[in-house]
Amino acid sequence: MELRFSADEDAFRERARTWLAANFPTEERPRSGKAMGEFDRAWLRRQWEGGWAGVSWPKEYGGQGLPLIHQLIWYEEYAKMGAPPIDSCFVGVAHAGPTLMAQASPEQQAFHLPQILRGDVIWCQGFSEPQAGSDLASLRTYAEIDGDELVVTGQKLWTSFADLARYQELLVRTDRSAAKHNGLTWVICDLTTPGITIRPITTIEHEQHFCEVFYDEVRIPISNVVGQINDGWRVAMSTIAFERGTAFTVGQVQLADLIERLIDVARTLPGPDGRRPAIADDEIARKLATVRAQVAALRAMTYANISRNAKQAQPGPEGSMIKLYFTEVQQRLMRLAVSILGPEALRDGLAGGRPWVHNYFLSYGATIGGGTSEIQRNIIGERVLGLPR
Amino acid sequence: MDLTPTADQASLVRSVADFFADRMPMTLVREGFDRPSAIDSTFWKQLAELGWFGLGLTEDVGGAGYALADEALLFREVGRRLVPGPLIATTIGARLAARAGEHALLASILDGNAAVALAVPRHDVVSDTTTRRFLVLDAIGAELVLVAYPDEAALYSLDAFAGLAPTASIDDATRVSTGELGDASPVARVADGADALWRRGTVLTAAVLTGISAGVRDMAVQHAKTREQFGAPIGVHQAIKHRCADMAVRIEAAETLLTVAALCVDEGRADADFHASAARLIAADAALTGARDNIQIHGGMGFSFESDAHLYVKRTHVVDLMFGSRTDHAAALIHADAAL
Repeated sequence: MELRFSADEDAFRERARTWLAANFPTEERPRSGKAMGEFDRAWLRRQWEGGWAGVSWPKEYGGQGLPLIHQLIWYEEYAKMGAPPIDSCFVGVAHAGPTLMAQASPEQQAFHLPQILRGDVIWCQGFSEPQAGSDLASLRTYAEIDGDELVVTGQKLWTSFADLARYQELLVRTDRSAAKHNGLTWVICDLTTPGITIRPITTIEHEQHFCEVFYDEVRIPISNVVGQINDGWRVAMSTIAFERGTAFTVGQVQLADLIERLIDVARTLPGPDGRRPAIADDEIARKLATVRAQVAALRAMTYANISRNAKQAQPGPEGSMIKLYFTEVQQRLMRLAVSILGPEALRDGLAGGRPWVHNYFLSYGATIGGGTSEIQRNIIGERVLGLPR
Repeated sequence: MDLTPTADQASLVRSVADFFADRMPMTLVREGFDRPSAIDSTFWKQLAELGWFGLGLTEDVGGAGYALADEALLFREVGRRLVPGPLIATTIGARLAARAGEHALLASILDGNAAVALAVPRHDVVSDTTTRRFLVLDAIGAELVLVAYPDEAALYSLDAFAGLAPTASIDDATRVSTGELGDASPVARVADGADALWRRGTVLTAAVLTGISAGVRDMAVQHAKTREQFGAPIGVHQAIKHRCADMAVRIEAAETLLTVAALCVDEGRADADFHASAARLIAADAALTGARDNIQIHGGMGFSFESDAHLYVKRTHVVDLMFGSRTDHAAALIHADAAL
């Protein structure tokens, strides 16, 4: 076991840092809408041109073909630099791309993967439905097979960035008589196809980045099916541990930065008694120390997970532990921030206060999206601990 | 960077686990409850023959030359199996003797002839002066007492403590005495420097707590898989399953952070104290919460003396006193520089 990185890895880190410092966009990232999508795509494109997109993607798919640990280093430096996120491109790079690499035909891969990595197109998921949230396999959006086409009718929900996306990882039912996991098909849906209606949904933070998507006899070529008809559940589950444990690296480094900033805030802002700084309050100090320890643990878990995954072909279910821990530590940190800010947190637009409140509200979604904490606990109970279903 | 144990480390852990299973199974742990001393002289000699007390010392002073990361892996087994006796204090005591150049003293510790009890400072009354009164853990059968602070550590003979007397103990397997440290000189003392004993004691304490948390997880999961109610194993129910899942997550946090903390010490990183205190806090939470939940999952059986569930809770409370309280480590952590 060792914590230190190799000389080669340190050199890679230095190159990443140098390139990022010279290249990351310093203009403010638009908060929503088409402008944000354009910003994200341009920034990913610049990474690709610099040879930094898809660090651990195989070379045959346009990536750098480097070990997983280099991907970790890249994300660490990216976050430390404060480089802007590319949230709208995340599904393409971190989920659809890996799924296509693992399951798609050579033709599908050759067409889509370079576009994803170059930032040409935004992808979105198409899994959740009004009646199929945590119980994803009960989804009802139906595709009838008509010659060499699927004809899709139904509705998807909570689809992040559907309004900006060109393609969608669409999971549909193709056999209503089969057991619920066996009648599903995973198909690439071009969102410009006639019959699709997309309506953004406003979040608790006044933002519009997730949508409901309606399908009215949408005709999709069968050649867009990834894997086999009725084999979609296996395809969808194959990348559930996406990016082999590196996906939360950026968020984890951001949390490490946030807790340090919060400790700084607590050193100056008045505490509950108004006479001493917040950090002099024992309860606040203890909570800050606890979150600081938990953020350190989160990094240790990420490192351990990457160490494991670097040695095995398929990522294990341990990724669910990181997802659960990450999102709960994030919420604890943001709740603590709001309590330390006290009355100041209530004032919208306060300089320095608003980002805390914004992140506080965003954190409510973290334990829901990408599989709720309750579903993560089921996965951990059943697949890590071997408890009965 | 690689946090997975090597094949050598994995086989070392297996051999130590086998050793404990063979020489100190739970039946023997329980037999020890009624003996005057928690230090079983036969077992203590066997530990010494294994080289336990010098695992992390260099070979030129009679040690085995292992890294703290290795020691941490092995001390996890101590917690997991509730191995009794002052293993942490004796290991740190041996290191102190080596650092002080007290070779005869070191030899007697390494040979298993001198066990080292741990003194935990206690305040009988509210006072802001440093107390001279201590709880001494496993003094009975020990030859020496380790008194450690973040900035210095010393070994005393037992008679340096006036009125050292046994008192009631929360843990059936740990003997607790109280006493007051007089003016006697220590037999060895070091001001803690680059090779901080306090930091190592903190990491080993975190290791035992982490081991305890793994022990209760295994016990709880086993029960959840086999105990049937309403015609099914209770582990099918989310009320049980999710409790077990939360245990698993806390343990993953504790185990991985423990490894990072030990490696920070081994690699001489400036944030070693930060990570040691963080690992100590996370491990204590994993052990306390897990041990509590394990009793709940076991239902009525968990409340019985016959079940081992209570033994983990009791030991956790004792170990949680070693090398600083959680309050101490939270305070240290909040004032530490940020992790690198």
